[in-house]
Amino acid sequence: MDVSAQLEAQKSKFKSINVEKQVSLQFDLGLLASFDTNALEENKLKTETDNYLKSYTRDGTQLLINEIFQLPLTSVQDVGVVVELPKIVTAIPREKPLPKPKPPTRWERFAKLKGIKKNKKSKLIYDEEKGEWVPRWGYKGANDDGSNEWLVPVPDNADPFEDQFTKLREAKKERISKNEARRRRNMDEAETGETQKLENKSKAGAKALKKTELHQQISVAKTSTASLGKFDKPIKGEPSNTKGVKRKFEPNIGDIQKEKEARLNILNKIIDKKGEVLNVRKAIAKNHQEN
Amino acid sequence: MLKTIKPKNARTKRILKKREPKVEENVKTAIFVRGSTTSQVVNDALSDLCRLRRTNSINFTKKNNIHPFDDDTSLNFYCSKNDASLFVIGSHSKKRPHNLVFGRMFDGQLLDMIEVGIEKAITMSEIKSQKCSVGMKPLFIFNGDLFETSQVHKTFKNMMLDFFRGQNLESINISGLEYVISITATGSNVDSDSTASSTSDGKIFFRVYTIQMTKSGQKAPRIELEEMGPSYDFKLRRTKFAKEEVYKIATKVPKTLKPKKVKNIDVNEIGDKVGHIHVGRQDLGKLQTRKMKGLKRMTEDDQTEDWSRKKRKS
Repeated sequence: MDVSAQLEAQKSKFKSINVEKQVSLQFDLGLLASFDTNALEENKLKTETDNYLKSYTRDGTQLLINEIFQLPLTSVQDVGVVVELPKIVTAIPREKPLPKPKPPTRWERFAKLKGIKKNKKSKLIYDEEKGEWVPRWGYKGANDDGSNEWLVPVPDNADPFEDQFTKLREAKKERISKNEARRRRNMDEAETGETQKLENKSKAGAKALKKTELHQQISVAKTSTASLGKFDKPIKGEPSNTKGVKRKFEPNIGDIQKEKEARLNILNKIIDKKGEVLNVRKAIAKNHQEN
Repeated sequence: MLKTIKPKNARTKRILKKREPKVEENVKTAIFVRGSTTSQVVNDALSDLCRLRRTNSINFTKKNNIHPFDDDTSLNFYCSKNDASLFVIGSHSKKRPHNLVFGRMFDGQLLDMIEVGIEKAITMSEIKSQKCSVGMKPLFIFNGDLFETSQVHKTFKNMMLDFFRGQNLESINISGLEYVISITATGSNVDSDSTASSTSDGKIFFRVYTIQMTKSGQKAPRIELEEMGPSYDFKLRRTKFAKEEVYKIATKVPKTLKPKKVKNIDVNEIGDKVGHIHVGRQDLGKLQTRKMKGLKRMTEDDQTEDWSRKKRKS
């Protein structure tokens, strides 16, 4: 059976969707845009602007729609035919600059160090007592911390006259205030760049700083014994700390010659060459000066 | 400049969070301002453009003494107060009749702007036809090679795309492709160095049509257009381009949004998807093959030994 004739008849019923263009169009389907660089007929544009523009645009739109229909189409119920658009090619400037990455909080740093991963918890939790799904936290939530309990058993080791209800309430208040303090501390640290400081410490620039810090800490540790480190055994090769030593004493049993010389020098200083102890002239001058 | 507000309740906190910079941005808000003197043409044009951009556009009703090319402090203030990054300022003077200035902001500062004069305008209400639904994404057609060659036209193209593109969507319903904006540029190429009014011939035709899809017997439908919206004949006047470095920062794409590169998978010439598996080097001498005892190399003594052993067994 020759169906081609019927096909031709069918085709001729409808208008063509093909458009001939000298230079093929450029498309940016993410923006549903097409760019036509073909030359326009100037005289037609001047004489019958609107009609020419309409027909020209119709051709361009036809090509754009053909291109769009080449993209993957899916049929979504109640909505119709949906076409998946690719990413935008043309560079369009943003309205605000890219957000700066937030510095990690204390917990985040610790978790990263230990390799603790966050587990996403479901919002609703099955409450055995009520037999239904309630929110894990918040209004009519399951984790009430016992602050709204109607009956609280007194533990064995507790004072029988202690009010357990106020105890629970106080504990909750304390937890809230601690959490608030931590949150504020995190915010302040984020502002002042505390994490940046810690990150910088690991860099080479602060290595020298660490060395002096270390020396300081060693010297502090040395003098933190009961006798301020005076009778500690010195370690081999360790430079002894001569800080704070103000007077030097000669050893009691040493060179006798030296001792003799030192004592005679003192004597010579007191008794001068003429054999007199007191220099009268100098004494009078000094007395005169003082008065 | 606006002072930074510290949120005192959850609602203001939410508003501030909405306005802070994000990786994937919100739809840009546009403000439509009237200058100190405006003409009826300009007023109609502003209101029509506002209608085309129904959501996320704020229409200033009062007149403001604003000259964007001279002083942009008041403009920065309006935009940051309304959290807007696009603006249109309409004015009318003897020197510049029926003037419109399209512009963009980045990071609270002026990025670039283009001034056009309206030579012929037909408003939406004058054209009696069915209008498209509110808030649809338009199709764009840019005709003329000037949009590839001339710097001014390239900026204008970018600005028009930015102005009317609407939301960034991953997929769109076919029935939502309702209207098309066609922008045609004619005239000689404008050299940025030339100081003379070389745009005397240059015109930009701005037309908006609704799309009617009819059966075509094939997958894609046959398109017919019907003029819907405002129709303008623009004439380019002054422009202010964005600074290179600022534009570079503004068009930076964050790493997360860049398409991920899949390693080791290629598509060969025929069109088959081919993958590479990288296996380590193997020492072929130590490969385990099937052991065939008969092929084992034996000496004469061994052979006789074997035979004697076999005999003893049996």
